[in-house]
Amino acid sequence: MNATVSMPAGRLWAAYFGEIRFEFIKALRTPQFAVPTLFFPIMFYVLFALALGGRGNGGSLAAFANYGVFGCMGPGLFGFGVALAIERELGLLTLRQALPTPAGSYLIARAVMAMLFVTLITLMLMTLAVLFAHVPLTLGQAVQILCVNVLGTLPFCAIGMFVASLVSGQAAVAICNLIFLPMSFLSGLWFPLQILPKFLVDIAPTWPAYNLSQLALHAVDAPSSGSPATHVLALVLVTVVFFFFAMRRFQSGGYRLLGARPRRTLTLVTGAGAVVVALMFSGVFGGKPASKEDATAATDAASAAADTPVSEAPAGVAAPAVAVIADFDQGSAAASYGIGWAAAGDEMRGGNSKAAQHLVDGGAAGSKGALEVTGEIGNAIQYPFAGAMFFPEGPPMQGLMDYSGKKTLTFQARGDGRRYMVMVISGIKMDTIPLMVDFEAGAEWHEVRLEFANLGAADFKRVRAIGIGTMGPTGPFHFQIDDVRVE
Amino acid sequence: MSQNTLASLSGVRKRFGKVQALDGFDLAVKRGELLAVLGPNGAGKSTAISLLLGLQTADEGSAELFGHAPQEIEGRRRIGVMMQEVALPAAMRPRELLTLVASYYPIPYDVDAVIARLSLEGLLKRPYGKLSGGQKRQVQFALAICGRPELLFLDEPTVGLDVQAREALWRVIRELLHEGCSIVLTTHYLEEAEALANRVVVMARGRLVTSGSVDEIRANVSDKQVSCVTRLAADTVRAWPEVLRLEAERNRIQITTRSAEAVLVRLFREDPALSDVEVKRAGLAEAFTELTNEKNKEAS
Repeated sequence: MNATVSMPAGRLWAAYFGEIRFEFIKALRTPQFAVPTLFFPIMFYVLFALALGGRGNGGSLAAFANYGVFGCMGPGLFGFGVALAIERELGLLTLRQALPTPAGSYLIARAVMAMLFVTLITLMLMTLAVLFAHVPLTLGQAVQILCVNVLGTLPFCAIGMFVASLVSGQAAVAICNLIFLPMSFLSGLWFPLQILPKFLVDIAPTWPAYNLSQLALHAVDAPSSGSPATHVLALVLVTVVFFFFAMRRFQSGGYRLLGARPRRTLTLVTGAGAVVVALMFSGVFGGKPASKEDATAATDAASAAADTPVSEAPAGVAAPAVAVIADFDQGSAAASYGIGWAAAGDEMRGGNSKAAQHLVDGGAAGSKGALEVTGEIGNAIQYPFAGAMFFPEGPPMQGLMDYSGKKTLTFQARGDGRRYMVMVISGIKMDTIPLMVDFEAGAEWHEVRLEFANLGAADFKRVRAIGIGTMGPTGPFHFQIDDVRVE
Repeated sequence: MSQNTLASLSGVRKRFGKVQALDGFDLAVKRGELLAVLGPNGAGKSTAISLLLGLQTADEGSAELFGHAPQEIEGRRRIGVMMQEVALPAAMRPRELLTLVASYYPIPYDVDAVIARLSLEGLLKRPYGKLSGGQKRQVQFALAICGRPELLFLDEPTVGLDVQAREALWRVIRELLHEGCSIVLTTHYLEEAEALANRVVVMARGRLVTSGSVDEIRANVSDKQVSCVTRLAADTVRAWPEVLRLEAERNRIQITTRSAEAVLVRLFREDPALSDVEVKRAGLAEAFTELTNEKNKEAS
């Protein structure tokens, strides 16, 4: 009797690779897994970012990065959460345990399967972004985003595994969905975080999807907040903690997912993983500044302002009696009070949208002059803007004007037929979401009229700025305004 | 451990909540034997097998597989397993499943050879989920043997198979046995144990009731069966003290008894027209029922 039957190293490696291949093919042939995980991110990107891109400028690098993060979540969450719970119920985990399956091969194969899915999703998003949205993605950025997304799958694998360790397959579907969609939303993957209530914005850094999205934004050189090292740390922590508790639950249920010597397997796997993470991290972020625009600083300033009770909040300066803000007939773009008009792009926020203004002859209703604004909407940030701004009470954005005694904002407009918008920035906090009202600027002069009474979303006691311009779609634009009045 | 003992349980106890599934149970699987493990539901058969496969750990006592703890992969590289309650991935085809499972073993059989040996050629194009229950069992059997195991665990291998498929499977089991593979078989089909086993272990309430060859088990049992055609009413005969059990079909009755002679004398006395008399020793099924009943009586 031969006392030991040794497994040749070559066969052992082949077994690991065979397992990965098996899991990948199995996942591809499981439509309830493959279809949503592969096509939801693509579909959402096409529908929300590209098709409706006029508003949010979905053709930006930032949107591309955010939808990629959304794509990372599904394969990890569902591939581990649902599939693991179901296969445990089917008795498959038990059978694998009785067979001489190589240590940890099942978990490794599933994680690699999820990463391969994420690779496919990222490549599809890239193709769409570059071919149809003309996103200016460089090869370097493409490689970096792929690294971020592929590694970013792991925290979601760990969360999914934790879910699977707690509940049945049916319940896991529900729970994973409850994690998947709300976390995407709360992490600002589809809409800017700023539209959410303050406490939700404050807790956003808790979500792994948020941390990953900041890394992805960083990878494509879009504005991001926080330092990449912190985000990586947060993600590693999430992965380790959820994996640890999931393993404990499985272990106490008698499942040896890492073989007879889990510590040894774990040390090998995490050692290899750490080297990969370190290499990618230094490769991806080594040459970059910590963060382009420190949005957290702005948020801090805003929260400091928010701490001031409303009763003590500064009120706006009473508005002058004069109705006309500007008629552009005196050979100047200057308003009758305040600062402006001034052309503005979004470079301040890290974007590449540009605007310029000049006076032209032939104003509305036969008046002498009008203000023409020309420029181009870029695609570097998710919510670009270019147009002309008016600050009723200087210094810009700091001063507050009390328009509560007035009833309407009116002006004449014409232009290239695009949709434009009036933006009213107001409120105690500087980063309050502006009020935005759409209008179309056709070839003929026509009046745009905002009734303050109908616009509850703005704080007309404290108006910081009024902007007229566009948020997209990407490309050149031009429009003219005349006879701006608040009365 | 003896060179000829491939797997063993020594003095194992295992409790699940209030149920003492195994209560000081010993088992040794010898090289070259087909050991059938019998017992009513809840006797502890599956717990015993789970311990040998490393799926559970004993509260007390020890389990060994080829001299290793069953949790260690070394022992399991030498076994094949066919479990009862497992659903394999529905989307995968039989050959893909075989290739994967064979890859776990050091010197597996060639996948095509296994397919040919079990005549699975007709099933290869369909995913596992689209196979019938019997076909699934055949694929599971193929997975169990593809690693060239020295010891094969088969849990109810022929459930859901038609007679032809069952015969074919029995043929392969006998061949494997002849080639030196040892087999542990748990089954509800007693005729399966009778047809294949060299040795039978009967369990009840987590303990060993008896073990031995099929003939030895049968010899242990004093029950005889008397069957005859009679005018006597079945209920009358059933009331006789010597009669343990009685089954009636039209005018033929079948009596299980420990004293066949006494029963026969009384039958002839009360029904001189008695005909078609047959007396035989109980089969494994009857032996098994009696053994486990006694064990239950003792326990209660």
